[in-house]
Amino acid sequence: MDASRNPGIHLAEPTVVVDDISVVYRTKQQSGSRTTSRTSMLGALRKGKATSSPVRTTALKNVSFVANQGDSIGVIGRNGSGKSTLMKVLAGLIIPDAGTVYAASNPILLGVNAALISSISGAQNIRLGCLAMGMSHAQIDAKFNDIVEMSGLEDEIYHPMNSYSSGMGARLRFAIAAAVDPEILLVDEALNTGDAQFKERSKARMKQVTSQAGTVFIVSHSIETIVSTCNRAFWIDKGDFIMDGTPKEVAKQYKSFIWRINEGNADYGRKIRAELMASLPAMRTTLLPNGWKRSR
Amino acid sequence: MSIEEKTEMPAVTVPINLKRLTRIGQRPDFLDYLVQLWDRRSFIFFDARARVQSGNEKNLLGSAWLVLTPVLSGLTFYLIFGLLLNTSRGIENFIGYLIIGVFTFQMSTRAIVAGAKSLTGNTAMIRAFQFPRASLPIAINVRELLSNVPVTIVMLLFVIFTAPAEEITWRWFLVLPAIFLQFMFNLGIGMLLAPLVLKIPDVGMLLSFLMRLWMYASAVFFSDHRFDNYPVIKTIMDFNPIYLVIKSIRNSVLYATSPSLRDWTVLALFAAVAVAAGLLVFWRGEESYGRV
Repeated sequence: MDASRNPGIHLAEPTVVVDDISVVYRTKQQSGSRTTSRTSMLGALRKGKATSSPVRTTALKNVSFVANQGDSIGVIGRNGSGKSTLMKVLAGLIIPDAGTVYAASNPILLGVNAALISSISGAQNIRLGCLAMGMSHAQIDAKFNDIVEMSGLEDEIYHPMNSYSSGMGARLRFAIAAAVDPEILLVDEALNTGDAQFKERSKARMKQVTSQAGTVFIVSHSIETIVSTCNRAFWIDKGDFIMDGTPKEVAKQYKSFIWRINEGNADYGRKIRAELMASLPAMRTTLLPNGWKRSR
Repeated sequence: MSIEEKTEMPAVTVPINLKRLTRIGQRPDFLDYLVQLWDRRSFIFFDARARVQSGNEKNLLGSAWLVLTPVLSGLTFYLIFGLLLNTSRGIENFIGYLIIGVFTFQMSTRAIVAGAKSLTGNTAMIRAFQFPRASLPIAINVRELLSNVPVTIVMLLFVIFTAPAEEITWRWFLVLPAIFLQFMFNLGIGMLLAPLVLKIPDVGMLLSFLMRLWMYASAVFFSDHRFDNYPVIKTIMDFNPIYLVIKSIRNSVLYATSPSLRDWTVLALFAAVAVAAGLLVFWRGEESYGRV
């Protein structure tokens, strides 16, 4: 692993280019005193529109970066900082309000929340998930045993999925999503749910992706996981892209930031954050004409 | 081709080679979308089959309910209208008339309501995998079509075995194209409604009332001559595709008359326009379905 790679200088071929993306969530605000008494609810009704006005929450603000072949990138940040949103944008499940994501192939997202049909068996869910990702029946037959082995499930594979423990479900979903041999793999907290044996297997799987010139993104609250598995780390805070560097450097700055905030010296923490953000090189993209246009 | 500019220094310029990199999440051209849908056909059929099987899993008798439900509801109608009330409301073979009306209309109700909720009810699937989202309403409609097979067979058995018995003619095969056109129409309406229900969930609440109104305009349990004096309602009924399906099946099964060419044409037009418009509308919203 090339841990000393300088962010901003790109030697290998890029697999993912994120160009200035922003995501805004619109949610309904509920009146604050709803639970207190009935009269306040009536008052809220009288006020009418003001109580259910839509609220805009910025989940990601002008995020840009380039990920290269062989990169294994850990994303850290506090709760609600936009890490999972970033994964969903990379996977194409959420379309950003501004900006564009370019990728060499369709990124596959492994999340803990991805549920399939829980009333049918794990084996049928494997088939369903693989078909949803565009595999054919023949391809699934060839890989079926590998998937079952990867999931670590034995006879349970023929039990309905609603009888599974949450860890078993997460393992099965990881195995299904890893079955397509993705070039770009996005892992969202999935590693935190499995047991030690599963962690080893999934780490091996991610290594395999990066060794085949792919790219892996990992969202985790465990900084140790990121330092031990990644060669690069991003720090995202409240939708801002703060830092891009080696996992050790980023972990050091992140920990010192959290420490200052918790110590009550929040101003100094914010200063660190602002300085790091300002030191990020700005990125701009130029579109090369594609082959179809050039040939005319 | 736009070039993004940033004022801060130092700037890094990243060339994007569109030969190697593609935009993620961008909705494909309409034709590419149709091709992608065709490529997912095994997913659609497997999803539909798995859901038909699992739909009754929590019941002790399991899939037997696929047959038991129509048999029991047919028997209930026979008990009340055939034996207890013994009414005919001036309709020849009222039991057959009623059962064909109710069973056929139910197929549309279930398919349209389920199709309209295909996006709101499958958020887990949508957020887990990247696939053409129109697979969902199609899979749901295929599921309804599959579970409608025993319903249709039971319906025909009732027509054969309850008095007055009807003679089986070649026209009974006309049930198949009628149901196929009904399936296409349901699918189109479901695809038109699904993005709307996702955007305005309240539409889903209104849907059951709209379907009931629609049922009254489809002459399910009264004679279609009832509105002879109201030309406006009569015209609406004549252009009501579900009523046309029911009428075609009644004509071919009960009255041994072929449905008129005009009815087939109107029905086929409705089915084709609904599917085409549904696909187009659904495709246009494709990028928005993953949003929270």
